[in-house]
Amino acid sequence: MKEQLVVVGAGMASGRALEHLFESDPDRYEVTLINAEPRGNYNRLMLSPVLSGEKTYEEIVTHDDDWYGENHVTTLFGHAVTRIDRDRRIVVTKSGETAYDKLLLATGSAPFMLPLPGADLEGVMPYRDLDDVNRMLDAAEMNESKAVVIGGGLLGLEAAAGLRLRGMDVVVLHVMGHLMDRQLDASAAYLLQKDLERRDIKVHCKANTKAILGSNRVEAVLLEDGTVYPADIVVMAVGIRPETRIARDAGIEIGRGIIVDDAMRTSDPHILSIGECVEHQGMVYGLVAPLYDQAKVVAKTLLDEEAAFKPVELSTKLKVTGVDLFSAGDFAEGDDREDIVFRDPGRGVYKRLVLKDNRIIGAVMYGDTADGAWFLSNIKDGTDVSGMRDTLIFGPAFAGGAQMDPMAAVAALPDEAEICGCNGVCKGKIVEAITAGGLTTLDQVKAVTKASTSCGTCTGLVEQVLAVTLGDDFVMPTVKPICPCSDLTHEDVRRLIKARELKSMPAVMQELGWKTSCGCHVCRPALNFYLLADWPLEYGDDSQSRFINERAHANIQKDGTFSVVPRMWGGVTNPRELRAIADAAEKYDVPMVKMTGGQRVDLLGVKKEDLPAMWADLNAAGLVSGHAYSKGLRTVKTCVGTDFCRFGTQDSTGLGIKLEKRLWGSWSPHKIKLAVSGCPRNCAEATCKDIGIVCVDSGYQIGVGGAAGMDLKEVEPLASVPSEQEAIDITVAFVQLYRENAKYLDRAYKWIAKVGLEWVKEQVVDDLGNRAALVARFDLSQSVYQVDPWAERASTAAHPEFTPLADFSMPEAAQ
Amino acid sequence: MQARILDTVETAQSFIQATEIWVPDAAGTRLVRSDGLYGLHGAFGSDSSGHSFAMGQGLPGRVWAEGRPIILNDVQDGTFVRADSAERAGLTAAAAVPVYAGNLIKGVLVMLCGDPDFGVGAIEVWHSNNAPGSVMELDGGFYGSAKQFCEVSERTAFKRGQGLPGGVWASKTPMLMRDLGRGYGFVRAESAGAAGLTTGLGIPVPAPGGSSYVLTLLSACATPIARRYELWDVVPGRGGQKAIGALVDGLCDIDGPLWGTERRIQPWQGPVGRAMATGVPVAEVPSGTHRYEGMVALPVHAHGEVTHVVAWFF
Ligand SMILES: Cc1cc2nc3c(=O)[nH]c(=O)nc-3n(C[C@H](O)[C@H](O)[C@H](O)COP(=O)(O)OP(=O)(O)OC[C@H]3O[C@@H](n4cnc5c(N)ncnc54)[C@H](O)[C@@H]3O)c2cc1C
Ligand code: SF4
Ligand code: SF4
Repeated sequence: MKEQLVVVGAGMASGRALEHLFESDPDRYEVTLINAEPRGNYNRLMLSPVLSGEKTYEEIVTHDDDWYGENHVTTLFGHAVTRIDRDRRIVVTKSGETAYDKLLLATGSAPFMLPLPGADLEGVMPYRDLDDVNRMLDAAEMNESKAVVIGGGLLGLEAAAGLRLRGMDVVVLHVMGHLMDRQLDASAAYLLQKDLERRDIKVHCKANTKAILGSNRVEAVLLEDGTVYPADIVVMAVGIRPETRIARDAGIEIGRGIIVDDAMRTSDPHILSIGECVEHQGMVYGLVAPLYDQAKVVAKTLLDEEAAFKPVELSTKLKVTGVDLFSAGDFAEGDDREDIVFRDPGRGVYKRLVLKDNRIIGAVMYGDTADGAWFLSNIKDGTDVSGMRDTLIFGPAFAGGAQMDPMAAVAALPDEAEICGCNGVCKGKIVEAITAGGLTTLDQVKAVTKASTSCGTCTGLVEQVLAVTLGDDFVMPTVKPICPCSDLTHEDVRRLIKARELKSMPAVMQELGWKTSCGCHVCRPALNFYLLADWPLEYGDDSQSRFINERAHANIQKDGTFSVVPRMWGGVTNPRELRAIADAAEKYDVPMVKMTGGQRVDLLGVKKEDLPAMWADLNAAGLVSGHAYSKGLRTVKTCVGTDFCRFGTQDSTGLGIKLEKRLWGSWSPHKIKLAVSGCPRNCAEATCKDIGIVCVDSGYQIGVGGAAGMDLKEVEPLASVPSEQEAIDITVAFVQLYRENAKYLDRAYKWIAKVGLEWVKEQVVDDLGNRAALVARFDLSQSVYQVDPWAERASTAAHPEFTPLADFSMPEAAQ
Repeated sequence: MQARILDTVETAQSFIQATEIWVPDAAGTRLVRSDGLYGLHGAFGSDSSGHSFAMGQGLPGRVWAEGRPIILNDVQDGTFVRADSAERAGLTAAAAVPVYAGNLIKGVLVMLCGDPDFGVGAIEVWHSNNAPGSVMELDGGFYGSAKQFCEVSERTAFKRGQGLPGGVWASKTPMLMRDLGRGYGFVRAESAGAAGLTTGLGIPVPAPGGSSYVLTLLSACATPIARRYELWDVVPGRGGQKAIGALVDGLCDIDGPLWGTERRIQPWQGPVGRAMATGVPVAEVPSGTHRYEGMVALPVHAHGEVTHVVAWFF
């Protein structure tokens, strides 16, 4: 009599195993195939095209009744095995017992459902089998129906695209910072998100789901941040867990999965296992390629032949029509690795290879994945690529092909894109002037179009439009790019961030053709500032792009300790604050307490790990960070003014306090120091500050662009105004103009020298509408950024930033 | 082993009764006929052979001038230069689709249909001006006897990513839908099911200017638009290497689904390879088989290169 082989689970792995078995020896076993799903083997990978309507279920069936018949396979579909009796060698289903000589467990995995309140409501479903697909399709037949997909990985995104194609409104919630974070880096994920958003799929990253709402059926999804998304169905695609229940109950050895040896044998010699349910050498698998290898091995084991399963490098693709991505290997950042990056913004292409010891260890590609297989085989083989490094990124086809055109970013701008913001000149107008008027130089374009005649920050862009339009006839003056990652200047980048509405770091780097995958220590802080200044609501500050002082919210000193400076509004303090400062100085053994030039108390020599506790103590006394470390408002120094001085003409202390309360917390291109003096005797030394106000009998004289550092400069007069309110408005508008236009790390005086004081006056003094708009934009930004970093961080004492072994790779002199 | 999706209907009459390709002449000033498949309408074919169209002239010339696909529901409306000959042949409607590489016209595909009361199927052109928040709306369509489906389509708009038109629009990629009777736009799906329309081919039609166009061919079993569909992805050649076409999806009334096994094609290899290499649409009688009366290979361009070729056999 033939030996009895019982196979539990008719999935991708068992289908393959049976094929191999029958090919080698069709007569050895009599096979019974038991499946919990009420159907036989089908290609689970292709469920997404069935969902989207691009395949039918019939097309993805891999083994049909004819095949089972030809191979004499007895099938029991729609029957779950509920128990294994190892002593009697039988499995139990609802229809009875089936005896085995050999048992093959291929039960796959079960979708993981987040244990959220409401997760058991009707309409909440996983995405694993055909029944799930049919449930989604039923929902899609309702008019105007809405789906929320929890999980922005491979499965979730395929579900989202399919549901969208079937007409549903779809929101994807992803807990991490970017989509498919296990397979893609931020740059590739940016392009993917853009692609999905082009399908009107809403993507919400960093989304923490709090609850699923509804009475009987799901009605909405609630996030921790209070956002509510209405939903007729919720698809949960947050991960899978090996389906090991029957094996565990039977006492077979289990880890994360059913533990197997190289020959796919479990701890019971009569029982074998393959597929997503197994754990091999500590690994479990969720992609089909290794499972096919396991199927091959188990077929041999069943025929008493030697075989061993060896894991191989895996690659990922996403089955969404029109989305072209590829990812393989390891692409985490590390000091021992180097990147080769290629971007083509016009075509939406991004490619990155990660090299270690002259070998490719990782590859991420978006928009052009033709060479994916070749890179994967190089990763698998560990090929030494030093000989072809320069052309490697272009794949095997490369034979001297074209380099990326550095003008691509400008060439890609549409005609309506505004090039010169001051005078409202768009690209089309400049191109027209060049072609119609036969213009060849910047000055001619300036004269004809008025572009670049005001603040001049768009000069570089106008030159590039000239270059793009004239080709070789234009000789580009040499310019200084932002850093080696890009050919664009700071001014170009700032202008393009606004013109192209680039709202994230990956967006800037992709659309402007960055040559690195994630920038460097020069461009990242600059981009971080430009983005938060231009898009305060949309952009989330990236603390990793900041210098150590700004990350630690304290000034690092030359011995590695920090200095702590509490804010004292206008330089005014009181006994209670002074007592708290004194207590903190004693409690934390502060070696030096010193007055600063800006009328503050400086506690020097604080150990990094003491910072959070010390801030908490100072916070408790009502003191907040003085931002003595930041590119932002430092101090407003005041004299005693009319309150106590007989020469005082106005309330200089009061104005100073008002200004400091209004301006603190905002980030700017460089530090900003202010002072207000109550009369021209100028005790607050206002005339050497970035902004200095001198009170006079008739009102307020506002000067800007002073400095008393390496350069010594007196302020230049910006305006004289009669009222305090006007003095405040002009000051705020000036700060915002500086924030919106200056190059990162240009102090105000340097920036004014570039754009001209006259232009600044026009913007903030003469043009009242513009002044009001600047003030409004500043206030909007403050609604996000005027927060005390001490309070935020004191509460998280275990913040990783404050563990003693911090990274001091970006130190910066305290100024 | 794999199920058949398209019914084998050897005898069924085609929904599209004549197909022709018009291409720019050497001087680039007129469109001349490069291919023509006329089936039962040989006389119309011979009448057409002497014609050529300047920009703006006749249906092909109008497509060229306006830079967009056009559907004429009544070829007697004045645009169609060969109206008399068409009338004699019983051809009543025409769809003309330009193939552009950027701003450069590579050719115009013209498809002619017969009696509007005979046969179920649909040739549609969908359009969006791509303004923020815009949708795809029907620009023109020929539906044969599927009158109710026509009315519903006129009232349906597709958002980005939704349904066959919206999906092709958003992905800029051809798609072959199997099952038009479920989901998307609900009412339209329902009436597609009612009309017996099952298979839908959607093709992006790049055109100069800011608008997006999508051509859809919706097919019913009894009067199929095609009996075999092939969707080829093209990896453009670069660095001196040849382009490669890969069959990514397809359906055939005899071979069943065409996506399971890997099939590749070289430039110039067969009509699909020719469309890939030249960027010009092809219509011809396939050689080496008697299964089909004709086939069309339509290239889709993006960024100055052929990125897809869509072929259908009838
Ligand atoms: C929508 C989707 C898309 C995917 N896309 C890809 C992709 O692009 N690439 C890729 O590599 N992988 C992909 N995967 C993953 C891939 O499908 C799985 O890795 C693969 O199916 C696992 O095969 P398996 O045989 O281990 O399990 P399965 O295919 O899940 O089969 C297990 C079967 O066992 C049955 N079963 C479980 N318990 C019992 C029991 N007690 N009694 C009887 N029967 C039982 C189940 O009902 C199931 O039918 C995708 C998965 C899904 C759901
Ligand atoms: S600046 Fe004038 S008002 Fe202020 S303290 Fe000095 S003298 Fe007095
Ligand atoms: S930077 Fe120079 S001036 Fe400033 S604190 Fe240090 S030593 Fe003194």
